[in-house]
Amino acid sequence: MGKSILIVDDSASIRQVVSLTLKSAGFDVIEACDGQDALNKLTGQRVHLMISDVNMPNMDGLTFLREVKARAEYKFTPVIMLTTESAEDKKMQGQAGGAKAWMVKPFQPEQMLVAVNKLVGP
Amino acid sequence: MTTMATALQTFLDESRELLSDMELLLLAMESRSGEPELQNALFRCVHTIKGSAGMFGLDHVVDFTHVVENVLDRLRAGEIALSRDLANLLLRCRDHISLLVEVPEPSEAAALQPGGVVLLAGLEPFHSCAGSSHAQTDSTEPVAAEASRKCRIDIRIHADALRHGMDPLGFIRFLGTLGDVAAVRTLEEKLPVLGDMDPETCYLDFEIDLVTSADRIAIENIFELASDLYQIEVQDQCPVTEVDPVAAPLPAQPDTDESVESAAPGAEEQADTSQQNRRRKQVQHFRIQADKLDNLINLVGELVISSAAVSLGAEQSGDTPARESAANLNLLVEAIRDSSLDLRMVPIGETFQRFQRVVRDVASELGKDIELVVTGADTELDKTVVEKIGDPLTHLVRNACDHGVEAPAARSQKGKPTRGRVHLNAYHESGSIIIEVSDDGGGLSRERILAKAMERELVRPDAVLTDQDVFNLIFEPGFSTVEQVTNLSGRGVGMDVVRRNIESLRGTVELVSPGVLGGTTFRIRLPLTLAIIDGFMARVGDATYVVPLEMVVECTELSAEQQLGAEQHYINLRQEVLPLIRLRAHFKLSGELRKRQNIIVVRHGGQKAGLIVDELLGENQTVIKPLGGIFSNLRGLSGSTILGNGQVALILDVPTLIQQVARQEDAANRGFQSHARPRLSAS
Repeated sequence: MGKSILIVDDSASIRQVVSLTLKSAGFDVIEACDGQDALNKLTGQRVHLMISDVNMPNMDGLTFLREVKARAEYKFTPVIMLTTESAEDKKMQGQAGGAKAWMVKPFQPEQMLVAVNKLVGP
Repeated sequence: MTTMATALQTFLDESRELLSDMELLLLAMESRSGEPELQNALFRCVHTIKGSAGMFGLDHVVDFTHVVENVLDRLRAGEIALSRDLANLLLRCRDHISLLVEVPEPSEAAALQPGGVVLLAGLEPFHSCAGSSHAQTDSTEPVAAEASRKCRIDIRIHADALRHGMDPLGFIRFLGTLGDVAAVRTLEEKLPVLGDMDPETCYLDFEIDLVTSADRIAIENIFELASDLYQIEVQDQCPVTEVDPVAAPLPAQPDTDESVESAAPGAEEQADTSQQNRRRKQVQHFRIQADKLDNLINLVGELVISSAAVSLGAEQSGDTPARESAANLNLLVEAIRDSSLDLRMVPIGETFQRFQRVVRDVASELGKDIELVVTGADTELDKTVVEKIGDPLTHLVRNACDHGVEAPAARSQKGKPTRGRVHLNAYHESGSIIIEVSDDGGGLSRERILAKAMERELVRPDAVLTDQDVFNLIFEPGFSTVEQVTNLSGRGVGMDVVRRNIESLRGTVELVSPGVLGGTTFRIRLPLTLAIIDGFMARVGDATYVVPLEMVVECTELSAEQQLGAEQHYINLRQEVLPLIRLRAHFKLSGELRKRQNIIVVRHGGQKAGLIVDELLGENQTVIKPLGGIFSNLRGLSGSTILGNGQVALILDVPTLIQQVARQEDAANRGFQSHARPRLSAS
């Protein structure tokens, strides 16, 4: 059974690209369309890594990060934040000390796989 | 490769959705531009498209959206205001983006380049101050306006920090993103002797000197995530040489409420909003391909037919347990039918919202001020109907703006507010959905319509017509009352096309004047679904026909003396004249004329008629199967269905049948100028 990864992004196409890439590398993928959706889908199951967008409706990535870190079972789960090359997102980077890594969109799927493997092992 | 291709399709769908959101947001912001929620949502639309487009290497999309995003970012920051010009421009940008995303390769986007350049030039004044580089963007921010200075950050860490996954190292690293970390002093007073040390407890505190231009809030924000575990004190302009780590005040008790609050001023507020977010119970959706759904509906259709066959078999076998099981099965199948049809039901609101733009564009083209009011947006109807109702509705809405609402000058002369209103309304009424398009204009003039109709030779000058008849003339081919054909409504598509479109959906359209708002109201009545109907079966000769149950008013026996006059085309039904349609003659069916015949009284669009059939067979669920292409010219039949016993039954197109009678009727009226022939009874 593969390690499971949660991907949170309001853009369905990005979710799909990330999810397909990870699945083809043997990971199990849980998809969520915003922070709230992600929190609803985290029901205590083991998640090895979370990848989250920052700018999302309903609950943005930083709020999600804070909420998920407040849950005992996900306190140590590494989180990769996805961001874009915008001034707004750059400001936000400073606010998310809990994230393990940042990836700037657009990225090549292979790049992401390298980062993922680094954090959770192949 | 295929994965990318499917993802690209998702990107297209998603972009289309975001672009339509963007349009609605821009329109909503014209009256509510100050609302940060709208501004953020608008920014996010473009932001998401840009981000996703980048993933697919659609540089032409990225390049253009980047500029738009910049402008929206400034709008959101309150640096620029949303003027009408800017709104126009952004709407045009939206249209341009919608063209761009459909182009799969950046190299193929050259044809769109000129349009993009014009728009970008238009956007120039709105984003030029923001500068082309991020460095300049940053310099406009108040945060960065302060000069770089050194500040000392006192970090007191709760013993449980490591247990909660809040490794101090990560925070210190992120401090480095705000400026230069000049010095890190580790305060190790709390360290116990080695033997007492618990590897999971954090014993260290830190003092950090940071050379930064970021303000206190920005620094404190870094630790917001862990405000309960980290206690922060930021001291500005503290020269590093003066610091004596030993002399520095070290509060012994790190957990006073006061200090926690001062450490993270925004924390409470943030927690509140996240609570609200959680409380806002989200409706969960998931996306499926439309053809999968169509397939399901088809299968349900087959299931309904099979279940009818089972019922029939059980009924004939006379076996009581079998009959009971069949009855049970029927109930379940009906429930499945209803819920699967419900899957295809969508609120009409989305379609209605599209018209905000239509009304806005038409109004500004005509120099009128028109507001679109939408009610009943939650009313649901079948997706296939929604898709087809767009065109007729567009025509009616344009008409309402163009012909209905008067010019501002004319309105103020009449003492009306200069801002006109067009109202879109939807509601359910006994198995149908009603859509109303109303305006608060001058309404229709019976005389003008009649005069025009006579000029066009649609009626004879001496015809006697009711108000409703006159209004219905508008739907006749080649009718238009406006002398000067504007380029809006006079597109050569007349109201007759509107009526034909709606009738092809088994719907009707009627005109009411004065309408809901005083002007004109067009009332469209549509069936909720096109796939399955409750039908009423009847036999004529050897053939079985189905009449949609909602059109059946009553059934009555054709008495012996009424049968006598083969040429008689109407009967007196309780003091009302009821025109008759002899199906046997109409469809030229052979076979013996039965002694006893029945009349099914049907109603459509306010007109009644009696269908003469041999035998009444009762209700059944009818799955509509379209007639093949070669039968498309048949008048009076709208489809077919398969009965439980495997036989094919034809579904009668009642509106067409009634129309045929009505036309004969009208022709008679116009031709004979007498009332000798009965008029259709209005209900």
